[in-house]
Amino acid sequence: MTISKESGDTAHLYDGKTVRSSAPSRKKLAGQTGGLGTDIPEDAIPKVEIPSFVESLLGGPLVPKMKFLPPDKMVQNLQIAVYGVLVALAFLTYMISPPEGTMWYVISGSLVFANIMQILIIASATVFGFMGTLKRDARFSLASYLLFILAILRFASSKTSLSSDIFNLQGNPTMLSVLVVVYSVLLIMYFELSNGVFRYSMLDTSIRTNEVYVMNPKKIVGKYHRSLIINPIIGTLLAWFVLSANQILPFFVGIFSSDTATRMRESVELTSVYGVAMGTLFVFIVVGIMFGLNLPTHIQRMRENKAD
Amino acid sequence: MWSRKSAMLGSLAVAMYLLGLTLRNSQLVTIAVVIFVFLTWAAIFGGHADVASSGRRADEWTGEEGVALGNVVAMRKISSARLFEDGELNVTLRMQNTSSLAKILEVRDRVPEVMRIKEGANYILMELGPRRETYIEYTVECPLRGFYSLGPVAVRMQDPFGMFHKEKELHVYNDFLVFPKMEDLKETFVKSRVPKIFTGAVNIRQPGPGSEFYSLREYFEGDSFRAINWAAYARSGKLMINERERDAVSDIIIIIDSRAVAETGPVSRNALVYSTRAAASLAKYFLARRDSVGIIVYGDEVVSVDRDTGKKQLYVILTKLAGAVARGNIPLQVVVNRILPHINKGSPIIFLSNLEDDPTIVNALRDFRARNFDVTVLSPSSLEFEFDAKRLDRTGYEVMKTERDVLIGELRGLGVNIMDWEPDMLLSTALAGARGF
Repeated sequence: MTISKESGDTAHLYDGKTVRSSAPSRKKLAGQTGGLGTDIPEDAIPKVEIPSFVESLLGGPLVPKMKFLPPDKMVQNLQIAVYGVLVALAFLTYMISPPEGTMWYVISGSLVFANIMQILIIASATVFGFMGTLKRDARFSLASYLLFILAILRFASSKTSLSSDIFNLQGNPTMLSVLVVVYSVLLIMYFELSNGVFRYSMLDTSIRTNEVYVMNPKKIVGKYHRSLIINPIIGTLLAWFVLSANQILPFFVGIFSSDTATRMRESVELTSVYGVAMGTLFVFIVVGIMFGLNLPTHIQRMRENKAD
Repeated sequence: MWSRKSAMLGSLAVAMYLLGLTLRNSQLVTIAVVIFVFLTWAAIFGGHADVASSGRRADEWTGEEGVALGNVVAMRKISSARLFEDGELNVTLRMQNTSSLAKILEVRDRVPEVMRIKEGANYILMELGPRRETYIEYTVECPLRGFYSLGPVAVRMQDPFGMFHKEKELHVYNDFLVFPKMEDLKETFVKSRVPKIFTGAVNIRQPGPGSEFYSLREYFEGDSFRAINWAAYARSGKLMINERERDAVSDIIIIIDSRAVAETGPVSRNALVYSTRAAASLAKYFLARRDSVGIIVYGDEVVSVDRDTGKKQLYVILTKLAGAVARGNIPLQVVVNRILPHINKGSPIIFLSNLEDDPTIVNALRDFRARNFDVTVLSPSSLEFEFDAKRLDRTGYEVMKTERDVLIGELRGLGVNIMDWEPDMLLSTALAGARGF
């Protein structure tokens, strides 16, 4: 039997009756107790860890909020990989970003000062990168990322110039382009690998604290390892393709008109940064169309049908 | 779906691209291009493309005939749909990949927040082969009564670098009920000095056919010879017979205060939690003794279970108690006015409340006593819960404790059997205290 009645309509109970005053309201009194406050007891709210914006950018929590367990072998390998990439990246960054054109040079007009600042920034980025990876503290890694980007920001000319040309590449534009592409891929791989250190540390900690269970971990890790090799290769090839617009476009144009193709090859605009931009635009228009046609889903279906 | 990481990289690439054009810096444009390439590659071949899925209950699944609507199918089985507080529930989640490609899946079976995972995990990262299925088993501990639901099952696929992901919730739900746990009162009552304190109360405490001794009286014609007390005859020289107390079924009314204020204190330690457990224990005890038990739960409405006997009644009562939610603020007087015409005069009444924020309590219980009802009040002390949770300072606690003691004293003066039930006290002890044993 369920009897429902609005709880507010109780005035008739008190009419003409002496109502004894009961104990004062707990909430009222709790509000008057000062320091203790009326906050909800701790165990009343289940603990929900919501990553902050910065944490989610890095793919893992900032260390002070979550203590990772000592790194397992996978994380250790990733750390070693980060150290290797970091050293190469630092070296290449210094190579392809000579002090001329840096904001320090623009501000001070002194090449020595600009050089010192550039070395300082790259060294700091490297040290922060090491610390972030070693301590698995995302804040250091974030600082390292920003410093590397700062190091590459230059008011430079379209042409790539080297600060220390130990391999004598300055005269070879193709090798210079390769160098820049390799540098870019290394930078992205540094982002990804250091990010992987946090992600897999978090995963490993979660596994060991029984928060998550992993089935077939070898296959999952194997896929990540494969991606670490395949993605940079694909990235390098595709980027090279995109950046070679000044050679690819004249090739196609040459089918119809060899003179126009020659002019294009010798065009300053096409070999400049605008040529690169044009090539990029061209390729990514194609990519945009692919996505517009929902090609990823079709490819997935095609792969599944093929497997059937 | 873009992750924040890919969004960040995408933004970085766009910024570098535009900055590169502005500063005429080909390195920046090159970095931007490489980032774009990484993102494009991850988006196209990340394996995130299609997680079309469907969910069904395990009991709806009838072998091979069920064709899933998508590629990933989830089914769930639970060990029981009804259990008691602190009980354990075994959950088996069956995940099937009906596609011909292997998938790396993150699966999270949503468990109510108050539950604790005791064994296994409800969050699994797995590689599920083509046309394969797997079973995920975990055990949850259910510390608090209530109606609960397991599910949905959240499935997520993402590329190895976590750039893009696709999520889908498989709407597979399993409902279950957690009853308040019960304390065994049998032993306590048997050992008390006056057994069967309630079954013989008031109008029931009369001589008649029964098992318990009631008194001695002189033999009258027609009395059974089997009832003659020969020892008393030897002492007094008169034929005396043993009179027994009538084994009658009595009506027990249990009133549970489920107003919003009853939940004052921590989630797992408050007056409502204690009251429901006490009500469940008392109902079980009395029903086992063939008494008729009815309950009234009031908060924002008055919900009652009519008096009845038997195991079925216990189940009905436990279900009502499991669903009791702290809401509203109906005064006790309203409840009393409503139930008085419907209960037998003299029925024992057990009132479970923290006696907070209701100015009508004294009058309401006075009305009961005026009609000769045997009223027992068990009052779980919210003060203690709050003090333990450090929500009250010592001064506030002392002031309110005094107020509470005055109220309890006043109720005791009305002839109400009342006990200030402190958190660490067993129900049997509190009952014995209330009855003065």
